[in-house]
Amino acid sequence: MSEICEVIVDGEIHEAKEGSLLIDLLIEEGVKIPYFCYHESLGADGNCRMCMVGIKGEKRPQIACDTLIKKDMEVFSNTDVIKKVRTDILELELLNHPVDCPICDQAGECSLQDFYMDYGLHESKVEIEDKVKNSKHVDLGSSVVLDQERCVLCARCTRFTTEITHTNELGIVGRGDSAKVTTMPGRELSNPYAMNVVDLCPVGALTSKDFRFSQRVWLLETHNSICHGCAKGCNIYIDHNKLKYKDDVIYRFRPRKNLEVNGHFICDEGRLSYKDVQENRQEFSTFNHIEVEQDIAISKFKNFLEQHHKNIHILIDANLYTEEIEAILEFAKSIKAEVFSPLEVYTDEGFADDMLKCSNRASNYKTIENLNISTENPNNSELIINFNHPQNFESLMQIDFCTHKSDTNSLVFAIAAFTENEGSLTNVDGITQQTQKAVKKNNPQPSIIEWLTRIDL
Amino acid sequence: MNMNTCVSGITSHSVKTTARPRNSLMDKLYLPAITGGVKVTFKHFFTNLKDINAMDTMQYPQEQPTDISSRYRGLHRLTHREDNSIACVACFMCSTACPSNCIFIEATERLDNIDEKMPQSFFIDTLECIFCGYCVEACPCDAIRMDTGIFSLTGNKREDFVMDKDTLLSHKGAYGEESSCAK
Repeated sequence: MSEICEVIVDGEIHEAKEGSLLIDLLIEEGVKIPYFCYHESLGADGNCRMCMVGIKGEKRPQIACDTLIKKDMEVFSNTDVIKKVRTDILELELLNHPVDCPICDQAGECSLQDFYMDYGLHESKVEIEDKVKNSKHVDLGSSVVLDQERCVLCARCTRFTTEITHTNELGIVGRGDSAKVTTMPGRELSNPYAMNVVDLCPVGALTSKDFRFSQRVWLLETHNSICHGCAKGCNIYIDHNKLKYKDDVIYRFRPRKNLEVNGHFICDEGRLSYKDVQENRQEFSTFNHIEVEQDIAISKFKNFLEQHHKNIHILIDANLYTEEIEAILEFAKSIKAEVFSPLEVYTDEGFADDMLKCSNRASNYKTIENLNISTENPNNSELIINFNHPQNFESLMQIDFCTHKSDTNSLVFAIAAFTENEGSLTNVDGITQQTQKAVKKNNPQPSIIEWLTRIDL
Repeated sequence: MNMNTCVSGITSHSVKTTARPRNSLMDKLYLPAITGGVKVTFKHFFTNLKDINAMDTMQYPQEQPTDISSRYRGLHRLTHREDNSIACVACFMCSTACPSNCIFIEATERLDNIDEKMPQSFFIDTLECIFCGYCVEACPCDAIRMDTGIFSLTGNKREDFVMDKDTLLSHKGAYGEESSCAK
């Protein structure tokens, strides 16, 4: 079955596995093909009928998502007949659509908009007043809002709850014009991966309550990153922007496809963790909670190092990038300090599940283990230099490098968060991944590496 | 350095040099030109002296212009719906189309069951605005218009020129169409 065979698409020869889905080949080869219901993670459903193609030898157009590749198949994707068929099906999909793009969060990343520009451009035959009316604001739970009027009934969301999370909250009830997505009476959409339905929805029917109305998507800038919520290292997009006269702000995290790590999804907790990254940040160097100039902070740092020679202990956060950890180890060697990274504080058994969530909440703990850094607690410390580790241990003197505000009466250096910096992380399965620098603050905090070069012993 | 080559790489072969016209004796005297100028001045002086109403200049601001048409792009306003509520749905089309990025909108949920979305705040910095009218063109809801007929704007400080939502809503249309015509 899985022999490689040749397929002709619009006169061009492509190679594909015999028996695989035709739509996968078309998407992979960049052949323009519209579809709503098909999704790589959910498989073929064949209900939207948008992905019609002509196949030599077949009487009528066929849907590409449910057609298996056969040897010497000849496919036509842009003949006049196919275009006409797609236009007509799109017109049917849009028949009861409320055309409320101005207030729809999906505008700008909406399949309906894209396909209308490609295949539609028709006047609606139904007046706005005659369109079927439905609920426009159904709070499904888990921060997901449903607009039943915008829905094209592709069933991606219902299939997600059936096939991926196995929680079966969503279903389609009714027939014809009255068919709509809904939950069982009294039941809510509640599973730790629920917000993925917002990304899955090809139109604006399912929107995130968290992101709702906060920004138009075409104004956002996107960078690739890795979620720091647990050791799984799910691939994400950081959507952020810097408005005129404002600071750079993150508006949302979205899952980024990586079949080796997280597939197509991320958990809701990771998705919403963008808030913690930017709230309550340490924005300048402080000593006993009073702001100090950078030069003074550095000279104080050197003074402390001169005062304490014995038992200098360095704590490393297991969420730091590998490059940063290596720079700290180098620094520790130069001041003859011992390095610790107690990992127990990151363990959260209640968080783990059998999908993506991992009980170790430190995104780079593998590197700590690989570099043989001690995971014991430091003892009899005179001076502790804490690089963003969440725990505090007893010592005569402490110096902190913090992304977020801390309440220790110590010398604190403000450092860049993972979104404002780039580096690599090794996840729980040993896969090393790279992130991009996304956020560029008006008042950027130096990274640990920059601080260590500035301190320059 | 090669004389034929200048910094920008243009050679003297490709440049056509034309002789500068020399001033004639008449030009050098200047008197005929001065007489010509004075003639124009006095022509206007005597015409205006005969009939003050025939004067070409307008005594602004005592006198106001009367030739501002409905197509004139004056100060912006935010329109209302038929039910007197705000027509804007904060779709950001105007601020996206704006070439000088002078429209600042923050959207919020609308809870009065008329619509779902409305602007929480809506500012136009008229000092940055170039009055091109793209915002009016872009608006899908006929919510922003420039038909107020207001052509002059004064203030004592920069902040006076930043129009907020309430000010923009308070501006009236000068040409009869009061509420939004969007369906």
